[in-house]
Amino acid sequence: MGSRKLRLLESRRLLTLLLFGAFAWSLSGVDWLGPTVHTGGPGALLRFIQALFPPELSPGFLRLALVASFQTTAYAVAAITVAVIVAVPMGLLASGAAARSAKTRLPIAVAARLGLGAIRSVHELVWAVLFVSAFGLSSLTAILALSLPYAGILGRIYAELLNDVPESPLRALRSSGASPFKVFLFGRLPMAFPDMLSYTFYRFECAIRSAAILSFVGIQGLGYQIQLSLHDLLFNQVWTLMLALVGLVVAVDLWSTRVRRSLVA
Amino acid sequence: MNYPGSRQPPLIAAEGICKSYPSVRALAPLSFKVARGEKVALVGPSGSGKTTLLYLLAGILQPDQGNLSVDGKPLSSVRPGRELSQLVGMVHQQYDLVPHLSVLHNVLAGRLGQWGLLRSLISLLWPHDRDLAEAALEQMGIADKVHERTSHLSGGEMQRVAIARLMVQSSQIILADEPVSSLDPARAEDLLGLLTGLAAADGKTLVASMHSPHLIRKYFSRVIALREGALQFDIPASEMTDEVAELLYDLDQAEAVVWEAGS
Repeated sequence: MGSRKLRLLESRRLLTLLLFGAFAWSLSGVDWLGPTVHTGGPGALLRFIQALFPPELSPGFLRLALVASFQTTAYAVAAITVAVIVAVPMGLLASGAAARSAKTRLPIAVAARLGLGAIRSVHELVWAVLFVSAFGLSSLTAILALSLPYAGILGRIYAELLNDVPESPLRALRSSGASPFKVFLFGRLPMAFPDMLSYTFYRFECAIRSAAILSFVGIQGLGYQIQLSLHDLLFNQVWTLMLALVGLVVAVDLWSTRVRRSLVA
Repeated sequence: MNYPGSRQPPLIAAEGICKSYPSVRALAPLSFKVARGEKVALVGPSGSGKTTLLYLLAGILQPDQGNLSVDGKPLSSVRPGRELSQLVGMVHQQYDLVPHLSVLHNVLAGRLGQWGLLRSLISLLWPHDRDLAEAALEQMGIADKVHERTSHLSGGEMQRVAIARLMVQSSQIILADEPVSSLDPARAEDLLGLLTGLAAADGKTLVASMHSPHLIRKYFSRVIALREGALQFDIPASEMTDEVAELLYDLDQAEAVVWEAGS
């Protein structure tokens, strides 16, 4: 009976209750009587929305938007490529699947996980600030700043996916004399590949958004142009650039859907 | 212990092997010998230790006690990898293929024990020993499926791919865990014909867990019966009548009833 009560205490219901409590408590911090919206806020919002009809569509500006989109995409492609190259071996080490003996498995997996955790826990913007001071406003800064945290995230997920494949085909490979690394090549990797690929595509979408955000430290691209137009209060230009960003992300999504479908079929 | 061809040194020699799992004793001390070229059917009700025994023979599990030697060498001293894969190979109950790979790659996985690391890596893209795999698939009658994705095959075809993998592995002993339990009668006969024909042609030794007395009489040479991890009987396959089988499976229930009444 006693253990039953204990289980109730640990149950999800208690956690839900705590979270609701925290939310309710946070509401008391809102100043309900004072102004929640900026004095000129509604007018500015209206002007911003009106600028969508139509956005800036002059040939000159469209060319500028196209170049900016290309820059952002190029940074994202380069960064995700570097991230994948780093993440596959790191993920394999972190999964512990390639270790020959139980003795080496744990220390190697822990070290790889710590490494991945360390580069992942620093946001790309913070990496960018660090690298700007070292390399200046170069493409190297953009690519390094993006690829480090992305390698950390991808490596962690790859490790999980490589560990989560069904065990019985692996056992069969082992019984035909395959070493752990060969089991990885002919068993874990092919079985985890579709999920690894679709997660990488999702991360590529995120990389496009992140590449745009890097403009906050002065890196070229869509985000940089959005910032410039915003400073000049040219909202219709901002809309054009934002639509370009949406277009990029949608295009990647469509592409990934097609690739995934061809893999599953 | 009498077994056919007893003048030759036995290929498999088990002396008092035991295996326990945390909550249950899977194999009581068990001793037997198998000569080269024998086709042994392991029988017994579920939970009698057939799969455990096969796993011990495959070197996947180690016995808690006793000696198990294959071809004169203690199995525990055989290094996993190249050496072990030349002695024993196993077809598992669920075929255990990698569904995402092509048939060709699944068959070639039987060569992983022989290949070095680099060759394995390259073979993922440009398969090595391709003619070997194609010959095996040809013999299994599914040569046209070489480039098919394995997940697209039927159960019977997957079973054949698993056997083709075993053929390219080319081990002396072929172990099969309930190879026909998920097949219909016609396909079961078909498959056992292939498996035993393959064993006979290359002088290999076959040990398979089986249920049907009719199939055992037709395709095997010897029957080893287990019950609750202990040897129940060891007879030529021709003596495995339906009555003997019924007794083996019923005896278990009869004893269980007595056991319950007594406790």
